[in-house]
Amino acid sequence: MTGGTPPAGGPPAESPPAESPPAESPPAGGLPADSLPARSRGVIALLEENCTVCMLCARECPDWCIYIESHQEPVPGAEYGGDDPARAPAGRGRQRVRNVLDRFAIDFSLCMYCGICVEACPYDALFWSPEFSYAETDIADLTHEQGRLREWMWTVPPPPALEEGQRPPRD
Amino acid sequence: MTPEEIIAAVSGGLPPEVRCEADHRGAALRVPPGHWLAALAFAHDRLDCDFFDWLTGVDEEDEGFSVVVHVYSLAGRHHVLLVAPLPRSAPRLPTATGIYRGAAWHERETHEMFGIGFDGHPHLVPLLLPDGFEGHPLRKDFVLAARAAKEWPGVKEPAARALPRTRRPGPPHVPRGWGP
Amino acid sequence: MAAVDLPLPGVAGRPGTGPGPGVITVDAGGACSLRVFDAGLACCGVEVAAALRRSGALAAATAGNQLNVFVVAGTVTDKLAPYVLEAFQDTPLPRRVLSFGACANSGGPYWDSYCVTKGVDQFIPVDVYVPGCPPRPEALLAGLALVLRAGD
Repeated sequence: MTGGTPPAGGPPAESPPAESPPAESPPAGGLPADSLPARSRGVIALLEENCTVCMLCARECPDWCIYIESHQEPVPGAEYGGDDPARAPAGRGRQRVRNVLDRFAIDFSLCMYCGICVEACPYDALFWSPEFSYAETDIADLTHEQGRLREWMWTVPPPPALEEGQRPPRD
Repeated sequence: MTPEEIIAAVSGGLPPEVRCEADHRGAALRVPPGHWLAALAFAHDRLDCDFFDWLTGVDEEDEGFSVVVHVYSLAGRHHVLLVAPLPRSAPRLPTATGIYRGAAWHERETHEMFGIGFDGHPHLVPLLLPDGFEGHPLRKDFVLAARAAKEWPGVKEPAARALPRTRRPGPPHVPRGWGP
Repeated sequence: MAAVDLPLPGVAGRPGTGPGPGVITVDAGGACSLRVFDAGLACCGVEVAAALRRSGALAAATAGNQLNVFVVAGTVTDKLAPYVLEAFQDTPLPRRVLSFGACANSGGPYWDSYCVTKGVDQFIPVDVYVPGCPPRPEALLAGLALVLRAGD
């Protein structure tokens, strides 16, 4: 259900030092990712395999910054009656269909990083990643399409260790 | 002051048209516009409300507008809300700046956002809106142009049959009449 | 009530040793130094202040060429827009504009408001857009590095 993320056992949550040492020149990449707090909100990543195009994220987004386009396709081999069409009762049942994602884009120039989409997704297809250095010279490049959202998945950290007294997740 | 003391003071000092409800936090007075200045002066003098917190308007749709003032007593530690219901056609109220100087900017904002007039205000010009802005934005019938013009991304269901506009799902908080 | 005279900010608690308000010089590794003019209009202004306070070379670092960067950090309302334009025009050349945060990029969470300009690029030319709400202070430094790379 969670798409293969390992169970809790990541690095313990710790806060970054209060004052970074003054640098001669500002580091281009910023802080290394493991010095950021757990669950830092930097960018949103999409795991397309989990997405069923329910569109709850696009509907719940307060800024209307998630753009989804999709269509429906018949599922091959799922005709009523299975492999033997002769067994399909005449006049009843319908072809099973599935949703296919054509376009999934998040406009990060509008996004306010509230996380409602990540929480609303019932299939855990959206994840937080702490990456924050993705400034652009053209504002159109701040709309990240499917390919780029998948690349952010490689930067999603494992879930942080359970806090004391917290019940483990059911799945 | 205890709720009982507040109710006793109000019934003794203000006309019966002013209705009062009091609880452990303070009082809420419903004041007809004709008694507005008297009620404010009473709150300031007799109920010791020396701290003016805010003044704002509410669009009650069918029931017109209300102007709400929140004042607080630092010594007595009780809050007083004064509510003045106003007719929709001609919302006017005397200014509170004679009693609470701090109401000046609040009344300017309420005037530009709702269109409520405040008689006797020394400088009733727009405060926050740019010059040339037309309309009163916080009224319920003010159309938020950006939400009306941009197509809601959630309307594109996967089964993209072209539904007629009346059956198309709309965003939850945008009234039907706002569309292009 | 009499006005209170507050001391100017300073380095390490010594008042008055810092730069004047609004202009911080950042030493970008010797090739070029950036003078950052921060228009801190709203919450993003705090992040910019944190970034510049941490990594600005507050002494006069004028190595190499000096580039002036006008940072717009925060929501631009229609009423304030003419003054932001004036501040931009007052920035000396050579100048670049960095739009910091969702509100300055496109109006951000307030894009639907009746009085918010949908992005500072509606009236001034922007060179770099830094996304975030608010972006981390380190994201400003990354954005400034992009200003240098893009400008060459």
